[in-house]
Amino acid sequence: MSFFKDRNCYLKNYNLSLIERIKQFNYGYLGLVCLVVAVGLMTLYSAAGGSWTPWARPQFIRFLMSLCTLGAVALCPLRFWMKYAYGFYLAALLLLVCVTLFGHVGMGAQRWLDLGVIRLQPSELMKIALVLALARYFHGAGLEEVRSNRFLIPPVLMMILPVGLIMEQPDLGTALMLVFATAGMFFMAGVQVWKFMAVTLLAVISLPIAWTCLHDYQRQRVLTFLNPENDPFGAGYHILQSKIALGSGGLLGKGFMQGTQSRLSFLPEKQTDFIFTMISEEFGLIGAFGLCLLYAFIIGYGFVIAQRAASFFGKLLAVGLTINFALYVFINMSMVMGLMPVVGIPLPLISYGGTAMMTLFIGFGLIQCVDINREMVIGRRGSIDDE
Amino acid sequence: MSVWRYEKAQVFGVRLAALAGMFVFVGLIIMGRIFYLQIIEGDKYTVLADKNRTSVRHLIPQRGVIFDRQGRRLAENKKNFQAVLIREETKDYKKTLAAFERLIPLSEEEHTRILKEVPHKKAFMSVRLKENLTFDEVALIQVNTPDLPGIQIEEGLMRHYPYGASTAPVVGYVSLVNEQDEALTSTNPFLDIAGYRIGRTGIEQAFEETLRGTPGLERKEVNAFGRSVRVLEKRSPVAGEDLFLTLDAELQKYALSVLGDEAAAAIVMDVKNGDILAFVSAPTYDANVFTMPISTKNWEKLLYNKKRPLQNKALTGVYSPGSIFKLVVALAGLESGDISENTSVTCTGKTKLNDHVFHCWRPYGHGKMTVQSALMHSCDVYFYEMAQRIGPEKIIETARRLGFGAKVQTDLPGEKSGLVPTPEWKLAVKKDAWRTGDTLNLSIGQGFLNATPLQIVTAVAQIANGGYRLTPRFIKKTAVPASDDKVPLNKGEKLGFDSYHVALVKKGMYDVVNKERGTAHGARFDLNGLKMAGKTASTQVRRITMKERLEGIKSQDELPWEYRDHAIFAAYAPADKPRYAVVVLVEHGGGGARTAAPMAAKILKEALRRFMPRAAGEKE
Repeated sequence: MSFFKDRNCYLKNYNLSLIERIKQFNYGYLGLVCLVVAVGLMTLYSAAGGSWTPWARPQFIRFLMSLCTLGAVALCPLRFWMKYAYGFYLAALLLLVCVTLFGHVGMGAQRWLDLGVIRLQPSELMKIALVLALARYFHGAGLEEVRSNRFLIPPVLMMILPVGLIMEQPDLGTALMLVFATAGMFFMAGVQVWKFMAVTLLAVISLPIAWTCLHDYQRQRVLTFLNPENDPFGAGYHILQSKIALGSGGLLGKGFMQGTQSRLSFLPEKQTDFIFTMISEEFGLIGAFGLCLLYAFIIGYGFVIAQRAASFFGKLLAVGLTINFALYVFINMSMVMGLMPVVGIPLPLISYGGTAMMTLFIGFGLIQCVDINREMVIGRRGSIDDE
Repeated sequence: MSVWRYEKAQVFGVRLAALAGMFVFVGLIIMGRIFYLQIIEGDKYTVLADKNRTSVRHLIPQRGVIFDRQGRRLAENKKNFQAVLIREETKDYKKTLAAFERLIPLSEEEHTRILKEVPHKKAFMSVRLKENLTFDEVALIQVNTPDLPGIQIEEGLMRHYPYGASTAPVVGYVSLVNEQDEALTSTNPFLDIAGYRIGRTGIEQAFEETLRGTPGLERKEVNAFGRSVRVLEKRSPVAGEDLFLTLDAELQKYALSVLGDEAAAAIVMDVKNGDILAFVSAPTYDANVFTMPISTKNWEKLLYNKKRPLQNKALTGVYSPGSIFKLVVALAGLESGDISENTSVTCTGKTKLNDHVFHCWRPYGHGKMTVQSALMHSCDVYFYEMAQRIGPEKIIETARRLGFGAKVQTDLPGEKSGLVPTPEWKLAVKKDAWRTGDTLNLSIGQGFLNATPLQIVTAVAQIANGGYRLTPRFIKKTAVPASDDKVPLNKGEKLGFDSYHVALVKKGMYDVVNKERGTAHGARFDLNGLKMAGKTASTQVRRITMKERLEGIKSQDELPWEYRDHAIFAAYAPADKPRYAVVVLVEHGGGGARTAAPMAAKILKEALRRFMPRAAGEKE
């Protein structure tokens, strides 16, 4: 806890006491997040056929733990996160290497690291760590630097290392999210638009090569995505049943705990990846749009926080984490209704599962931290004043 | 504020707005997709969800019982115990199966079928191990229950044929649905029902829809694993209608016993209304073996038997009618005026036509013949001569009127129509002109002409009843057996023959049996004055060569079985007031008089004793 004593790292004008920080806490934003979690708990209760076990109760406990973590993260000084951004990144990268070497195999992929007490999914931590590291990297750079190609080599490497390790697990969804989140941060940092276009063009051209690098089951998923009706009892079964559940919800839905597709186990993974389908089945178009609106508020609020932060590190951190959150929402919703292949990304704050919830709350803690310290100006190298 | 900070913040603001725009765009795509799936295509997915959650099971109705004319059961539904295996109730189904087979051995085929079926079916579904368990086997399984986890005894209904073999040609049989049936009638709801047996031949096939009834229905809510959660709807099956046949099962059984080991057919018909009292094809098969999957060995045994037990010879066998056709020629001649009662021909044993010699069956001839004596002696030369005078057209027309060359009934499926050759037919099919020789062959029922035993008995019955049209009937509508002597003569359509001419033909038939030197004199009987009248036929299956004729014609017994003549005898009784017509056809039986006539006489006597009180006080 050395950072509390190290008073030098605070800018004197904007240094806030702990009490002031708690006062500055953005309770509206936190309320929105908790509202979505409540929807999730209710859905998990319904998924279990009207029971707190086996999902809703553990999820609630995780929520409480995550909430504490959020508080702790938010109340840490912003400078602390900036100072140790690369450290966190290196730690997460190290864990990823460990998982590759001695990780736990679950569901056909090596994603877990069993630490005795908790099972850690380092790829989730990396989502936060990469945003932190990139925000730190771009914080002090002038536009001239950002627009030079040489300056972009280190951050590209920072992205490629974990993406390569995660692809190896294999976890296409998380790898994709890291790539998109990095691209988003590059865009926000001011990298020229034509460079994105060039990279996209290059990617399209090299698509046939990438195809050969995919694992068999990944290829199968893409093929199934392209034509799910082709194989209604094999790999296409999930997506077809998901569409049936969603479509049969209609305008008003079948009612709380009345979804036949989920209740009779036709819907696969109803408590995790396909939970949005279940909400749509039981609450119809009204419920689905309502949830979309909640997500839109959270994302929009994240943008507002990014815009009003004084420090560039804060701006980038808030927007990067918001992009990350939006990617969860977009990818999950798209895959359950057949807009993209099933890649195993949960619906944020709602899907059952511990690591994702914890990661998301760390993220929200950081965004809160940015908002608490929105007046704070940070110098090029993190000093008080380096004009 | 420094420049680097200011510029970057400005770029950041603009890009944040652009990013927000992109996100709104993606959000709109997602919401549009939700709208499309839930509102535009919502109905389609609602239907699919309902189809998912409900499972419809059809319940087999009780199949209609088939009775004979006296109310005897010919096809019924018997309680059937079957052993089934439920995979989820045993740890190791292979071990359970092995334990089961130690108690009740299964065939190799069944063993492999079960091993293939068990892992493929859902764990809580039952797989049939053995049907038709005896009470001893049921007891054996129950005693050993602890060693047989997962094995249960289920009770069902199984079609049973009490007269098994003898009634098979009429009643037919049912057997399990196979893939070909499914391709044929995919709309039949019964085909989906596990264990449903469909009518294959005979009445079971022809009256399938009457007998099977209406299936019941059970609609259940099921989960994704197929396990039922609750019953939504239940409709009990409605049993099929019972059928009453014109057959007399005991007469049928007796007739079969009379035919013995021969490849033969026998039919008894009521000449007043066309009721079929007996309809036998021999050798036959036990209809009960088909209700369960038949083993390949037994199937091949039936299939490759040279006496063809699976063929219904009475209905689908076509044979030259031989000398029985002389009845038709005589009637044609009488009707056309070419023959009168006294028209005579002298038989010298042969007729010369151009360079070809047509022989009478009796080498030295019959002497002076009239129509009545020509029938009695079955003189070939008389009919050779007459046929030339009558001409083929008149004979063909008369044959057609009596039912030759076309199907005569509609109750049983698969009937053959036989063939009455005409000059046009010969030109079209054989690419050859009709010659006088063809007319001569036709006059003695040989050559291209052929007919089924059912057509022969129908023709004879229509002569016996004085020329009234008959349609052979297998189905009697009412349950109560009619009092036989009071059945009114079917005063339906007359065939248009002069009753005097018909009577003259019948006189000839009477003489065949009852006059000394009549061809079937040996088979005559007299039951309290009830006598028989008939006509013999021995039809060649191969030509007799000139060489053989010179060497002396071999006796039928000296020939190999396949070369012997077919023996046919068609008759009716009582001779004075005809009531029952009969035909007996014995493949390669040698002579009609020697082989078929005594059999026909026995069957007729049995019929008379059964149905005519007068014959009961029998003296012989």
